[in-house]
Amino acid sequence: MSENKFDRGSALSIFGSDRREDFMALVFALAITVFVYFSY
Amino acid sequence: MVYTNKSPALFIIGIIMLAIWYTADSGMLSGYIDHLAAGKKYKYGAELTTIPLYFGIIAAAMGLWQWLGTHKEGNWDFYSSTVAGGMFILLIAMLVRWFIAPEVAVISQSMGTIGETGKHLHTILGLNYVVMGIVTGIIIVNFFKIPDWATNGVRLSRLGLKTGVILLGTLYSAAELKNLGGLSIVMIGFFVLGSVGMVLWLGARRNIPNSMAGVLSAGMGVCGVSATVAAAPVVQAKSVEIAYTIGTILIWGVGCMFVFPIIGHLLGMSYVQFGAWAGTGILNSAQVAGAALAYQPDGIETLKVAEIFNITRVLVLPIIVIWLAVWYVQREEHITEKVNVGKVIFDKFPVFVLGFILMFALSTTGIFAPANHYKGKYFDNTKIKAENILTDKQVAQLQADAGKVQREDRKAALARLIEGRKVASIDDDATLRGLVNAKVMSKDSNKILKGAHKAVRHTAKKVKAFRDWITWLFAFGLVGLGMQITVGSMKQAGGQPAVIGGIVGAVKAVLSLVVVMMLVSETI
Repeated sequence: MSENKFDRGSALSIFGSDRREDFMALVFALAITVFVYFSY
Repeated sequence: MVYTNKSPALFIIGIIMLAIWYTADSGMLSGYIDHLAAGKKYKYGAELTTIPLYFGIIAAAMGLWQWLGTHKEGNWDFYSSTVAGGMFILLIAMLVRWFIAPEVAVISQSMGTIGETGKHLHTILGLNYVVMGIVTGIIIVNFFKIPDWATNGVRLSRLGLKTGVILLGTLYSAAELKNLGGLSIVMIGFFVLGSVGMVLWLGARRNIPNSMAGVLSAGMGVCGVSATVAAAPVVQAKSVEIAYTIGTILIWGVGCMFVFPIIGHLLGMSYVQFGAWAGTGILNSAQVAGAALAYQPDGIETLKVAEIFNITRVLVLPIIVIWLAVWYVQREEHITEKVNVGKVIFDKFPVFVLGFILMFALSTTGIFAPANHYKGKYFDNTKIKAENILTDKQVAQLQADAGKVQREDRKAALARLIEGRKVASIDDDATLRGLVNAKVMSKDSNKILKGAHKAVRHTAKKVKAFRDWITWLFAFGLVGLGMQITVGSMKQAGGQPAVIGGIVGAVKAVLSLVVVMMLVSETI
């Protein structure tokens, strides 16, 4: 995984930037939060 | 480039997951589960009969389509192809958590306790599902190879860790930060600024380039890779210097992740003490989580404390970036490219930290659990199960020991407990916990007091659900993290950066251990 063999994202992430990955993490976290809030 | 690999691998993973579910649900595995439980209750029974079913269906269906379908270049191909790698990591996490780690524990327990520690080998070495998951990842990437069909999905691991960190905010409340925040700010402030200053000083003594010293100081002082990346443009670091820094952080962090829990167990540190130490002394967010989970694999108290310290450290990042910018500009007279410090901070500050704070704010409003919840639990003495009301025998035991209590507040709280046969108020609960910690009464009485405390503490269902999500997101992320630790990346830590990083890291780890042992009490 040390060198990037992908034409999208980086060697460590499918996202092009840390910021984009952060926002996606935020979206997933909010989706899980909504799910937990209405399911329990 | 078409990312989806026409391979039966994902379908096979789905079938394996469904086979795990079926054998567990039908009772075929009960003999083996009894063996793993070693006379106790097997902790993962509920997970075994649900999680592999849901994910097995998804993996089998997606796997059939990936194997037999036609795939064209595009967004759908790119993102859907990650499912195979994601399920690969998840399957490893399942196998390690449910079977391999318990099997190692059974073998370790059969060997007896180690010396005077009273603990088994697997506990002292922290050989639990978290550590074994990371090691499995390291073995796969270094001794075999990540299969082509999984490579794209393995890159999801950091996303899992970040999502887990954001959700961790749901477990905190203002009541908790009120207790931990002040201490974490003082400790982190001291150690972060001290580490950065020490790296810059050692860097000058050992004649490494300013850009190298600058980026290494951010990495060693703040939060590992994120800080390195954030500080790099400020000190105009070259990519090889960033790689050296990340290599140093990685090798140091991996070592800490394994050594910290061993030392913690040897010293008999409480969860709060270990969390404070790991959050201060370990560099990388993921490795802080790894060490905390390794120390307490079936609870989240250590992780929560460690993350509070870790998040506090990340929040110091803008200050460090400004410091480095000023320091670098002063030392590099020939600097030509103007660096906009404010823009660098805005561009590089990790947004997931803001997500954590957002979740914390939501949690503090009381939408997940009563707003006064502490460690995800809240006080309520109106819904106690009948069997948890104190019996005549227990009351007699407490009355026999009551004379040993000297402090008036403790005497009064104990009297109210005896009279009402349950803890009367949240203040009494805190007072009686103090009485237990003081070890004034006999062991039997303390056991009764602990039982009375547990009876009035309730875990909100939503908070419990969040805990489960967080556990799995971290398990997923950390197995994937292991798959990114190659021997080559560790070798990058060689030379001066490794020496400086080693000295500063060791000093920070030892000093923070001393401070934690001196200042942090069991409950803070």
